[in-house]
Amino acid sequence: MNSAEREAWYRYQHEKYGIPVEHLRREFEEELSGKNPMDAPLEIPDKMEVVFKYSYGGQSRFFRELRENKALYGAQCPECGKVFCPPRSHCHTCYQPTQWKKLVGTGTVEACTVQHYTTSSFIKKVPFVCAYVKLDGTDSLLMTNMEVDDVAKVKVGTKVKAVYRELRLGAITDVYFKPLD
Amino acid sequence: MRDVAIVGIGTTKFKSRWLDKTYYELAFDAAKMAFEDAGIDKDRVDSAVYGIYNDFFQRQYQPDAFVHDYLGLGLKPMVRVNSGGATGGAALRIGYQEVASGLQDVCLVLGVEKCADTYNYELQMATPEVLRAILYTADMTYDNPAGRTAASGFALAVVAHRDKYGNPTEEQMAKVSVKNHFNATKNPIAQSPKVLTVQDVLDSRMIVEPFKFYDNCLYTEGASAVILASKKVAESISDNPIWISGLGASVDYVMPGNRPNIYTFESSRLAAKKAYEMAGITNPVEELDLAELHDAFTGTEIMAYEDCFFCEEGHGGDLIDDGTVLPEGRLPVNLSGGLIGCGHAVGATGIMQTYEVCKHLRGEAGERQRLGARKGLVQSIGGTLCTWSICLVLER
Repeated sequence: MNSAEREAWYRYQHEKYGIPVEHLRREFEEELSGKNPMDAPLEIPDKMEVVFKYSYGGQSRFFRELRENKALYGAQCPECGKVFCPPRSHCHTCYQPTQWKKLVGTGTVEACTVQHYTTSSFIKKVPFVCAYVKLDGTDSLLMTNMEVDDVAKVKVGTKVKAVYRELRLGAITDVYFKPLD
Repeated sequence: MRDVAIVGIGTTKFKSRWLDKTYYELAFDAAKMAFEDAGIDKDRVDSAVYGIYNDFFQRQYQPDAFVHDYLGLGLKPMVRVNSGGATGGAALRIGYQEVASGLQDVCLVLGVEKCADTYNYELQMATPEVLRAILYTADMTYDNPAGRTAASGFALAVVAHRDKYGNPTEEQMAKVSVKNHFNATKNPIAQSPKVLTVQDVLDSRMIVEPFKFYDNCLYTEGASAVILASKKVAESISDNPIWISGLGASVDYVMPGNRPNIYTFESSRLAAKKAYEMAGITNPVEELDLAELHDAFTGTEIMAYEDCFFCEEGHGGDLIDDGTVLPEGRLPVNLSGGLIGCGHAVGATGIMQTYEVCKHLRGEAGERQRLGARKGLVQSIGGTLCTWSICLVLER
């Protein structure tokens, strides 16, 4: 490929996949300069992507309460009394439809760890605490990452409270937890 | 139910990247080896079961259909299994059902996985993008947005176990890492043969507390295959059949908040219990000659000692301290190097573990041979905090 063809290649891949041109250049300069033998393995950029307009179905109220009213709700089984958060529309034991129950938004860390390495989506946030929290008034565990200045502050048994973000999108990340003190 | 034998085995090397092979080309290599090992033509196969975990890793949804086509098995029935880290074990279970039920006489069970075709251009490495692809298997509404990884899920369980029982300690976990990396030095297909010290492991960088770098398994590309046959066929074509004498499976609640606790893996205990009952095993440490356990993390290998009833609950750490699970111990664990030393090519892993046990039972394991091995255990687990568990007992 001549230099104009190479530049067009970089531009096309950048526009299609959003990969900065300097990153593409770093990875593909040698390949595009024609140095690699014809039979050598050939790598190309690609991406798998699907866009949604996702329905929360029977859990819609949980996310609407979170977004509109800064409130956390659990789902209670009328038969066994168990309260689920994450909520569910039916009790998996009694098979009864659950009823919404407003939670106070405090809870206890049941298990926690500190992540020093993670996925592409979160790697700029490390180190962060990843924990199972049992919210007061519920009988299940909620997975959460915790925002604290000092990750060593969060331990099993730490009391935490819900904090709601300014910009709420209707997702579980509209709420996060921090130690109660 | 009919008796089911393994009459052919094959595996590619386990490597961090097979740049010169696609997933279906890797599958081809493993299948070809297994057919040659069994001494049969591919047309002798009645059906196939493919263990392939992550569609993103293959860059292909329904990758099983393309493997089937590439292997030239068109018009034969097949099914794909995807059960997280337990995919290989789960595929073996379905293959067993194919033959034990009488539906088929010969069944190919093949696991294959790529992963390092995913790539983070900014960081110039695959791993964070591999983790991102894996995280699509966490609950998308509540768990995925929290940024947890497979490692942090299992770390939470190990921490909970340690809080309850005082072990596994970081030293015990490091000893497991040293053992598995060392065992890998004797396995020609292993990805990470290394002679490490406990201090090397303790000094390696923190990934997810309490797991340091060397406490984690590897991301691996590779393919492994076995040929299952009914007793009648096995006796006519094979002079060294390996029998699947025990098989147990259990699937726990994927949302661990719905379980009674997270410090033990109840699905693993049930799978082992069922496999032992079927194989007539009452004292696994005495009756088994080797075990390949799913050591995705050093801490979970130690939990697996308990879940597979090698010791009382809460005493897993003792078995690495007293040498029971070392190569010269009473019950060597992960002579292949396990997922930590040999590698974790997810869909292939349970089948690689089965390949390894078969090698020992046939007396073909070379330098790492467990002398006189007659019975071995394969444990295949996966999913959020060990959702899926499958155990197999193999005998010669």
